[in-house]
Amino acid sequence: MQAAYPDIEGHVQRDGVCLGYEVFGQGDPTILLLPTWTIIHSRFWKMQVPYLSRRYRVITYDGPGNGRSDRVLDPARYTADSHAVDAAAVLDACGVERAVVVGLSLGAQYGVRLAAIEPERVIGLVLIGPALPLLPPAPERAGIGESFFEPYPENPRGWDKYNLAYWHDEYLDFVEFFFDRVFAEPHSTKPREDAVGWALETEPRILEAEARSPELGLTGQDLFAAVKCPTLVIHGTDDRIQQHEIGVEAARLSDGTMVSMEGSGHMPNVRDPVRVNLEVRDFIERLIA
Amino acid sequence: MRAVFPDQEGMVDRDGVDIHYEVYGTGEPTLLLIPPSPITHSRIWKGLIPFLSRHYRVVTLDGRGNGKSGRPADPGTHTQDVVLGDLLAVLDAARASQAILVAHCHASMWAVALATSHRDRVEAIVAIEPGVPYLGTPQPHWVETAPHWDEIIEDPRGWQLNNRQAITTRHRDWVEFFFEQQLVEPHSTRQFEDAVDWALESTGDVLVAGEEGFDIDLPDRETAEEMYRSLHVPTLTIHGDRDICQHVDRGRAFAEVTQGNLVIIEGAGHLTPAREPVQVNRAIRGFVDRVRGAPMHSQVWARGMNRRKKALYLSSPIGLGHARRDLAIARELRKLEPDLEIDWLAQEPVTTVLEHSGERVHPAGEWLASESSHIASESSGHELHCFQALRRMDEILVANFMVFQEVVEEGQYDLIIGDEAWEVDYYWHENPELKRGSHVWLTDFVGYLPMPEGGEYEAYLTADYNAEMIEHIARFPRIRDRAIYVGNRDDIYPEVFGPDLPKIRDWTEEHFDFSGYITGFTPPTAGQAEEWRAALGWDSDEKVCVVTVGGSGVGRDLLEKVIAAYPLVKKRVPELRMVAVAGPRIEPESLPHHPGLEVHGYLDRLYRQLSACDIAVVQGGLTTTMELTAAQRPFLYFPLVNHFEQNFHVRHRLEQYGAGRHMDYRETDPDQLTEAIVAELSHEVSYRPVENDGAHRAARMISELI
Repeated sequence: MQAAYPDIEGHVQRDGVCLGYEVFGQGDPTILLLPTWTIIHSRFWKMQVPYLSRRYRVITYDGPGNGRSDRVLDPARYTADSHAVDAAAVLDACGVERAVVVGLSLGAQYGVRLAAIEPERVIGLVLIGPALPLLPPAPERAGIGESFFEPYPENPRGWDKYNLAYWHDEYLDFVEFFFDRVFAEPHSTKPREDAVGWALETEPRILEAEARSPELGLTGQDLFAAVKCPTLVIHGTDDRIQQHEIGVEAARLSDGTMVSMEGSGHMPNVRDPVRVNLEVRDFIERLIA
Repeated sequence: MRAVFPDQEGMVDRDGVDIHYEVYGTGEPTLLLIPPSPITHSRIWKGLIPFLSRHYRVVTLDGRGNGKSGRPADPGTHTQDVVLGDLLAVLDAARASQAILVAHCHASMWAVALATSHRDRVEAIVAIEPGVPYLGTPQPHWVETAPHWDEIIEDPRGWQLNNRQAITTRHRDWVEFFFEQQLVEPHSTRQFEDAVDWALESTGDVLVAGEEGFDIDLPDRETAEEMYRSLHVPTLTIHGDRDICQHVDRGRAFAEVTQGNLVIIEGAGHLTPAREPVQVNRAIRGFVDRVRGAPMHSQVWARGMNRRKKALYLSSPIGLGHARRDLAIARELRKLEPDLEIDWLAQEPVTTVLEHSGERVHPAGEWLASESSHIASESSGHELHCFQALRRMDEILVANFMVFQEVVEEGQYDLIIGDEAWEVDYYWHENPELKRGSHVWLTDFVGYLPMPEGGEYEAYLTADYNAEMIEHIARFPRIRDRAIYVGNRDDIYPEVFGPDLPKIRDWTEEHFDFSGYITGFTPPTAGQAEEWRAALGWDSDEKVCVVTVGGSGVGRDLLEKVIAAYPLVKKRVPELRMVAVAGPRIEPESLPHHPGLEVHGYLDRLYRQLSACDIAVVQGGLTTTMELTAAQRPFLYFPLVNHFEQNFHVRHRLEQYGAGRHMDYRETDPDQLTEAIVAELSHEVSYRPVENDGAHRAARMISELI
């Protein structure tokens, strides 16, 4: 059973792709919870939706490739800008002019692009464990880009598994490895099971299409140059996917508020939902005061 | 003593009437606090100013007719028009182009009028127990007495005193009756005394003029209601639901018509700034921050399981004895919990001692209002009326509680240890939802006791304070997770808390654990004492008399009395050496000199002198007398006059150890003092040994909570 069920469920067609969205609650303002990497879908917001939708209207949706959305194989549909246009289409479908936009990990890219492309629609931006190209990757992940399309070693270990061929051969093992890294906190069995389950709702060829999509061409100052709204960055100090310093840099570049979560990993919204909920509410309350 | 003093004060001259104002702090925005003059003046904000001025700039004024302002007695000089002129003149003088107005009772109407006529000067309004005419229901006693205002009433009683003739001729009766009615909360003696005192700084004539002036240009119903409706500034209304001056429905209606925020304080009467300062402070802070869009602060939040264990230790600055024993407890606590981090929230002189010991003093300590200065200001001669001094410390306690509360809300402490941290214990019981962390309460006495000179009234007051404490503990046993009596069961004074109240000992045994006494040092062996003597340059055939009066400025009279006896004693005991320790606050040079008499200022490690002397003459403070007891030295002690703790609690405890000779300061002349010194010098003492495991026992009790 879910703690909260949507008041409205719908689909929006955007340029031939059908995206499933859900609307919870009637409050004001509207909070748009963005998708993230296609390896999971909108249920990863399950700890936020019931709380936030008691106060505000909350919209979640699945990006192309997982959840209730079409399984798209066109890499062009996975760029940050394409995601931003999807997000705007969802807002349109819900008849929402403006929203507070919340993105986790890769979702932060979509949020930043939405705020740049349609600044008048974004009241504020919350970036949780943002995956933004602001710093070189952490040392243990440094080799990923180059070897991703290469054959993987015989006994792949650790980040060796972040490899296209390995995904196709040993998807479950990769997924389990990945979410082990995501949840750095002890006693995370349930969040890990959840995430692995969501990952199994999509498949390697979808993730491959996404991996083949062009990267965000912007970095550093340029990323935030067009972002005019207030931002809140929440980042775990023990994030093993996107290091904490990226969040600090994002807060600095956006002149935003930084909440460091000491001991938290890459998905504090799941692992420390109470604190994240309170921080998001506090941010929204100040925005609308 | 006040908790804070203004950074700036001044007068504005308004057609020959002085209006006094004060400015506190430098923050943003400016708050103008408007009292409902002339029945009271700016001191009604004493519980709010220290807190608000730490965050914002606060301007207060004494409305015309009271405080340091003029006393015009013509109703025509108290019209709304004139008062608005006063407010604008003060804003100008304080260079505030705009302010958030905070007004109590009928001053709320002035705030509304000012916001209406000078929209650009008013950013928002906080209306406390607002007297905004025509809204809600008027209280029936006002309606009933208004028609008889001009009459001559024979022997007016109760609300009949609300009458021109009665207020003019029986001003005090009216004021006392009025505030007795308003303070519906139990245990409001201090607030009552304040309110009456402030009201009586004005006169009946002026009060009548204020009442009549208010009505002269009061807008009619239609105009007033239109003013409320079209008030385009944010409002916050704070209202006690048992207010019998302004019915709470009036506050509700004001909040509704202005579409503002409403805070109802249940169980509170008309004077919430005085009676519920913590809630009023927090409500105003929340409101101002919303109006202003308070900046967001970056922060670190640690996952619960990632946190190191942290304690906040509050050590009372009244007397240095607490610091010593608290350090001893902290040392023992670290032995039991090596990973425990301890921050100290303390003020001078305790911080000096702590820093010497390498302890971590929380920077917020700088914001604390000085308790030791207050106590010094309350002392004169060899006298300190310590119960009244504590009562008059009320605004300092609120101010310091607000600092403390901010520290614990940010600090994620597991444990709060308060050694006689009165403000924490009192205000957490009064505002129980604010409690953070486990709370340990430590004290070395339980129960306020009246001094005979205070008469019946003081007996009533001490009983009332004791009753409040007993009720606090009974209602909220969760506030004190552990209460530790620094001493033993037999040390508890064998009295009752007051009429119809329990015996202090029975109640304390039920509600406290007992650590035994904590000296904070290990008394020397006979051999060590000899070594110290040698190190101090004292010959073994000398008879050394140490005279010490502790760290406060209170001791001069006793020093002079003992020094006056010095020649007499010297005659009887030629081998006498007298060592007088004046402490840091008394100039040694300012005391009389005699050959063979040494006068020192501050002496580090005074316990060496005390442990090695042949006799000591001291005040009746617990720390020093117990050090002498532990060291098995003969001593005479003079409790401060009217100091209930020294006269009852400490004296009783010393009797349990069979230690020391009690002396009455006012009854003792130099001859008698000489006799006593000579007698005690030849007296072999054998006191009950003082336990030396008290700190360890206290630490064990505390460590169970983490």
